[in-house]
Formats: sequence, C-alpha cells, structure tokens
Amino acid sequence: MSTTVARPQPAEAPELSRGLTSRLISFFSGAVGLSFKLLFLSVVNALSIWAATLLARDGKWISVGGVLVATVAIDVVYLSPRRLVPLKFLVPGTVFLIAFSIIPITYNVNVAFTNWSTGHLGTKDEAIGKIQEATLSPPADGKSFLMAPARDADGELVLILVDEVTQTPYVGTRGGLTELPAGAVSFDEIGLIEQAEGYEVVRGPELIELDQALSAYVVPVEDGSGIRPEGLELALELKPTMRYDRATDSFVRIEGGKVFEDNGRGSFVAADGEELEPGWRTGVGFLNFRRIVQDEQIRAPFLRVFAWTFLFAVSTVLLSFSLGLFLAISLNKPGMRFLRSYRSLLILPYAVPAFLSLLVWRGLLNDEFGLINRLLPVDVPWLFDPTWAKVAVILVSLWLTVPYFFLVSLGSLQSIPNELVEAARVDGGGPWGIFRLITLPLLLVAVAPLLVASFAFNFNNFNNIFLLTGGGPPAEDQIYAGGTDILISYTWKLAFQQGKGQDFGLASAISIVIFFIVASISAISFWRSRSLEEMR
Amino acid sequence: MKSTWRITALIAAVAASALAAVAGTASAAPAAGSQAAATTIRIWVDSVQKPAVDKIASAWGNTRGVDVDVVVKDFGKIRDDLKTARSDTAPDIIVGPHDWVGELAANGLLSPLSLRTAVKKQFPAYALDAFSYGTAVKRLYGAPFALENVGLIVNTRLAKVPTSFADFQRQALAFKKKKKGNIALAVPQGSGGDAYHMYPFFSGLGGYVFGKNRAGNFDVSDIGLANRRFLANAAIIDAWNKTGFINSKVDYGTAKDAFLKGKAAFWITGPWESSTLKQSKLRFKIVQVPANKYRSVPFLGVQGYMVTKFASDHAVLNLAKDLVANYMTSTSAQTALAGANGRFPANTVAGARVRDSVLLQFGKAGAGGVPMPNIPQMASVWAELGGAWVKSTKGSGATKARTAFTLAARNIANKIG
Repeated sequence: MSTTVARPQPAEAPELSRGLTSRLISFFSGAVGLSFKLLFLSVVNALSIWAATLLARDGKWISVGGVLVATVAIDVVYLSPRRLVPLKFLVPGTVFLIAFSIIPITYNVNVAFTNWSTGHLGTKDEAIGKIQEATLSPPADGKSFLMAPARDADGELVLILVDEVTQTPYVGTRGGLTELPAGAVSFDEIGLIEQAEGYEVVRGPELIELDQALSAYVVPVEDGSGIRPEGLELALELKPTMRYDRATDSFVRIEGGKVFEDNGRGSFVAADGEELEPGWRTGVGFLNFRRIVQDEQIRAPFLRVFAWTFLFAVSTVLLSFSLGLFLAISLNKPGMRFLRSYRSLLILPYAVPAFLSLLVWRGLLNDEFGLINRLLPVDVPWLFDPTWAKVAVILVSLWLTVPYFFLVSLGSLQSIPNELVEAARVDGGGPWGIFRLITLPLLLVAVAPLLVASFAFNFNNFNNIFLLTGGGPPAEDQIYAGGTDILISYTWKLAFQQGKGQDFGLASAISIVIFFIVASISAISFWRSRSLEEMR
Repeated sequence: MKSTWRITALIAAVAASALAAVAGTASAAPAAGSQAAATTIRIWVDSVQKPAVDKIASAWGNTRGVDVDVVVKDFGKIRDDLKTARSDTAPDIIVGPHDWVGELAANGLLSPLSLRTAVKKQFPAYALDAFSYGTAVKRLYGAPFALENVGLIVNTRLAKVPTSFADFQRQALAFKKKKKGNIALAVPQGSGGDAYHMYPFFSGLGGYVFGKNRAGNFDVSDIGLANRRFLANAAIIDAWNKTGFINSKVDYGTAKDAFLKGKAAFWITGPWESSTLKQSKLRFKIVQVPANKYRSVPFLGVQGYMVTKFASDHAVLNLAKDLVANYMTSTSAQTALAGANGRFPANTVAGARVRDSVLLQFGKAGAGGVPMPNIPQMASVWAELGGAWVKSTKGSGATKARTAFTLAARNIANKIG
C-alpha cells in the first residue's frame, strides 16, 4: 500500500484537456497564428506612434525616444523566429510594470524636487501675464461704458462707447477717445447700441472672430489708464498698477516704486516679503526634503507618528493572523455540522466594502449615541480619547483583516501533508507540540510573504485611519498630527491642510521617505523569512 | 535565405499596418481639431445645475451664433480637475462656491470680469465681495447666482420660536430633561468638528475668523479666534458644556435623525435639507439663532459662475464674459439657476419673486451673515476652529474654551506662517 497520497484525479480529465490544448495549438500555428501576431504588433505599433505624436506635440523628446526604442524592441522580439523565446513571455509583464509602476514612481520623484503647490501651478510667462491682468484697477474716477465694436470708413476696428453715467457717446480708437455729437448713436429696445453715424457696428459671426482682437484692444486715456473691453457690451477704464521690467526680470509697483524680484523659488517677492500671485512651478532641488528635516512643526511629531504607525501595522497583522489561524484550525474539522455556514459568516466582513464598514463603525463607536456603548456596561470614549481611539482603530482593523487571514490559513492548512501530523502523533506529540513544531513552520513558509505584504499594506492603510477617526482626536500639543495619525495620513494633512492650500511637492517628498522606510522593513523581513524556506 | 525573406515580409507587413493605423488617427486628429476651431464654449457644471444651464446657455448661444458644450462633472472634482486640465479639454466657464475663488485666482486659473453698473446694483455687496479676490488689487472673478446659509429650525409642536437666547437655552434644556435620549440642540459636530454649523454660536460671542484691513481685504495676521471680546465670553461655552446645551458627540446623522424623530426640538441646518423638511410632515419654523452677546450671524455661502483662464487660450474670452457677466446675471436666468439648486437667488430682483416659504425663511435667517473668507488660508482654519469647539463641548473631560480657542488661534498662525 503506497504511503504517498497522490491527489485523486478523475480519469477523463487529462485526456480531454490534452486534446483541447493540442487542438488549440495546432489551430493557432501557421498562417492563423501569424496573422494574429501581426495584428497585435500592428496595434501596438499604431498605439506607440500615436503616443509619440502626442508627446512630440508637447515637446517631451526623451519620452518620444523611449517610446520609439521600446516599440522597435518589441517588434524585434516578436518577429525573430525561434529566438528570444523567454523574452516573448516577459515583454507584456515588463511593459505593464514600466507603465504602471516605474513611470508613476519616476514622476513622483520628479515632483518632489519641484515647488508644485497652490500658487505655483503654471509657467513663468503665464504668471507674468496673469499678474499684469490681475493688477489692473479702475482708477478713482474711472468710468464704465456701454460698448459696441464697429468699423470705421477704412475698415479699422473701433469701439463705440457710451458713458453709463452721463450717456455721452464716444468713439474709441488705439489713438484715443473722441467725443461724438449727441444723437449720433441710437439704441435698440433693450438699451444696447444699435447704430452709430459714420461707423458700421459689427454683428453676428464676425463678432465672434473679433474676440481675441477685443481682448488686446486698449483705448488710451490720460494718466496711463486705458479703456478695455470686458465682454461684448461693456468697456471699463482700467489702469495698470504694476509694471514688468523685462531687463531686470522684476515687477515694479507704479505707485511707490516697490520692486518685486524673482526669488528663484517660483515667485516675485519684494524685500519686505510681500509676494505677488500667482507664482510658477519650478525646480527647487532638495528644498522639500530640507523642510521635512528642519521645519519644527513637521519634524517634532514624526517619531511619535512613525512609532504608532509601526505599532499599528505590526499589531494588526499579528493579531489578525493569530485569530485567523485559530479560527481556521478550529474550523478545519471535516464533518463538522454547519461548517460551510460558519465559514461564510466569518468571511462576510471581507466581502462588504471596507469603505462602508468603516463609516458604519464610526457611527457605532460614537460614545453617546453609538450602539457599542449602549450595549456595553461601561462607557468608553472610543473616538474622543487618544488611547481609546488607538484601541478602536486596531479592533476595527482586526475585524476587517481576520477573514483574509482565515481564508489564507485555511488554504495553507490543506497543503500540510497529513502523514507528517500522524507521524508526530505516533511519536507522542501533544496538540500544542504538533502545532508549534510541524504546523506553524510549514504554514509560515507559505504565509510569511503574505504577512510581510499585509504589514506593508497596513503601514500605509489610509482608509482605516482616515474614515474611522480622521487622524484621531486632536492632540493637545500638535498642530497636524492627531492621536491616531499614521505616516500617510499625517502626510495628507501636511500636504493639503497647510496654510495656503495644497503642496504636492512636499507630499511627494514625504511619500518618498515613507517608501524608503517601508521598503527597508519589507526587505529585511523578506531576507529573514528566507531561512524558513530551508526547512523544506 | 527563406528566413530572411520571411523576416523582411513580416517587418514590411507590420510597418504597413502600423502606418495605416497612424494615417487613420492622424486624419481623425485634425478633423477633431478643426471642429474645436468652430466656436464652442465649454462649461463644467454639476448634475444639479445641468438642466438649467443647458436651457440658459443654449438660448444665449442661439442669439450669438455660438455652440455651447455643457459637461457634467462631480462637484468636488471641478476644482481639482481644473488645476490639472489640458488646454484642449479645459472648460471656459465653471460653476463653483465662492470659497474656491481665492485658491483658483491665486493659481492664476480665473479671468477677472466686470458687471455693468446697473447690474451691479442688483446684487448685494457682500455677494460680489465674496467673489472678489486679490492681495494687491481686488478684482471680481465670478458672477453669483445663489445664496445659502444655515438657520435654526424650530419644531413648533415641541417648542416655541425663541424670543431671546436665554429663552432658547431654557427651552432646549427643558426639552432635554423631559426624556432620556433627547438632545437639547441638534447641531452637528462629531469627532472632526464642524466650524461651519457652529459659526452662529461663535459670532454670537464675538468671534470672527479673519479681520479686515483698511483696504477691505482680509488681514491674515488678525485671527479672531482669540480676540479679546470673544475670550471675555469664553466662559459661557464652558457653561453650555456643563449643562449639556451643546454636545460635540452629536454628528450630522445623529442631529438629523434626532430632529426628524422628535428627539430634538431645535436643529441647525441649511437649505439642502428643505426637501427633507417638507417631506417630514413636521410643523417647523426657520429663524436666525437669537442674538447672544452679539448677533448670531451664520456663514454665508455664495455660488456662482466663473470664467477660467482657458477662455483666452481658446479665443472666446469676451464671449464667455458676456455669457457669465451679462446673460447669467439677468433676473430670469438667476431664478432658473438658483431654483435648480433649491437656493435663494443672489440677484435681489429675482429674490423678490421667490415664493417658496422655506427658502424665504432661510433667506431671512441669513440677514447680516458673513461670507466665508475665500482666501486660500482658510484651509488651515476649518480643522482648527472645528477642533476647538469639539474639545470644549465634549462633555466630561472637556478643555476650557479659553484654552482651546487660544491654542487654535496660535496653531492657525503657525500654519499660515
């Protein structure tokens, strides 16, 4: 009698599958397979040429080069007959890895070295144009006019203007304002300019084409002011209050002569610190990283938040794994009644979207009106006390993670050969001894990578923390870090609840720091868990 | 030899099909490009505004001979997507609340506009001020169409409309004592706090967020959370906490549920709940929170339409300004736009035509209200102000209000830098 237990296989299955597979292979060999291959390669080539044209239009020449090189490489790999076979299998995965992992990470690193944040979104030229536009101001006695664009006898564009207050008609040209005789302008029933003597008022589709010309049109009046069209029926007297000096690359306030210079970090700033908005996006080197280290408000809670993040991730993983394994072992008895029902019930928390469960738990844990405190005999300030909030977060994470480890453990338990356990029992091992020396080590070989992955996931588990407590009850001393903030939610608060809106550069820099932390911990854990492999 | 031919044939075939595909996409692109050149104005709205904007914008488009492309977007995503929009898909006009103006204008994403004098007179000054921004020079960046503010909803079967703040407090506490599980005042806070709903109580004790300098601009160095007058009244908040008048454990869901089920006689909420209120079959009245030491004015929210900087990139700047500043400010357009949202119209002439009693009551409850500051520095205020209220009204173990608000003011000052 053979002691090795081979998995019983139905006799027909191998025959059928072999037949189907070989039929498929023979179908796709030859001309049919070749045409499919050409079709896919053509699609890939077409996509990459289209992508290259888009990138070339934006002037991103490095990316264009990269795309073209990659396309040629893919063509070579798939068109070489009978060679480079391993590459043929590796190429799709590599393409997706580069597209969805490497490129976003590179972009993230790139952003961390810029000052991309509120007020620093566009280019410098855009910023200069915007500052000039935003600092136009109506002078003290500035007038506003009803306006209609018109053409004079020579076909030149002029503006027919009627002062809103005095109702005096004028014609405005690039040379200046000229008064028209009273009654030269007639109005329609709504009160808009209809006709003007000696000029042809522009109407209809031609008006649309004039849009850009109107935006640039200025009728100069005394003292540096100009009358500018605002829309199609209104013109205002506006005066620039800032002058851009191209030679010194700075703005000068016309009244008072205050100079705003380019500070090298994306803004025009005066000597006393007054800043012009908007700024522009530019590289700032290691400024964001230096801020993390030097800024007291960011650095002070860093260690505390890091310690809590580590504790949260470790306790969630270890406690969930222990509980999940315990449940899996208890429910691993074949022939137990209602086994399937127990297992389905235990998997339910995993099936419900975590987003919903977290919000429901937030309501349940409300200490005056929530269900938990109504049922318990004690009154625990779950979400309002820093320590209890930490406990609440771990408990809810447990509730969400145990089903996952239950499933994993259940599956891994099946793969432990029965005869090892029987042999151990014959040798006189008790249940705890069997578990400690046989079941657990063999289980860990399969599950260790999952534990590490789960640790990495919970280290950055933004959802659990943010939806449940929003980062925790506000701590007395800290500005940003709350009682249950982990590194990633702390980063979010630093990036998006700062003094002036959002700071993408700083957020990218901090996420790179977090990446190094998580990567080192994971690398160390993987390296140590390799020793488990040698057991087999 | 044969294999060389084969490879050459394969490469030729791949290249030919690729070129064919490229020729197809290339011909599609200029066609799409030329279509965009035919004048179209693109508007980003949320799903609530779409029907009203469709009608108004197409009516305007017909008079000018311009196509209008109304794109529906998630309300919160309008601001975020605008920051990363590509020029060829970017909108010329967007809808948005006034507190976006500071951030968007500081980023250079909006184009300033102007209203005709006659039209300007039809809007309350604070509504136009809410849409104005500028550190050096203040300019108008949007045309308002709707106003909103919270009010005190009184269940007239369970309580009477309070005549004074003391009366209000007395009634609320008496109602709380009547039955276990009753809430004195259903004002939403929760562990994250809610500075917006709590503002009437804050202003009633003399609090404000940012002071104004002589030019009428917000002065971010003047943070009103710890101003002298408010701190003198801070002990009142401790008294409220002790008697249980205000409890920060009540969050939005609990507050709404309590009022609708008769466990609270007083609720603080805004016009977004008008349909809920109407369908609830409760008898209620909406008033402003009674004046405390000062008038308990609420925060005002103003919604409007703004012209983006992409309008000038698309050469439709003056057309877009015409639609927003001219056409959308007319009385009929204002009634339609505000009505789509269930809010009070910003235009006072349109406002005089409102007949819905709930809207009218909310409108009166907002008298003297303060528009939320639209400067980007507000981002650091919400969490701090809400947190200060939570800490000082959380029941047992609450921080003294004076400490909490002073700390909050200092934190805001540090965050703004």
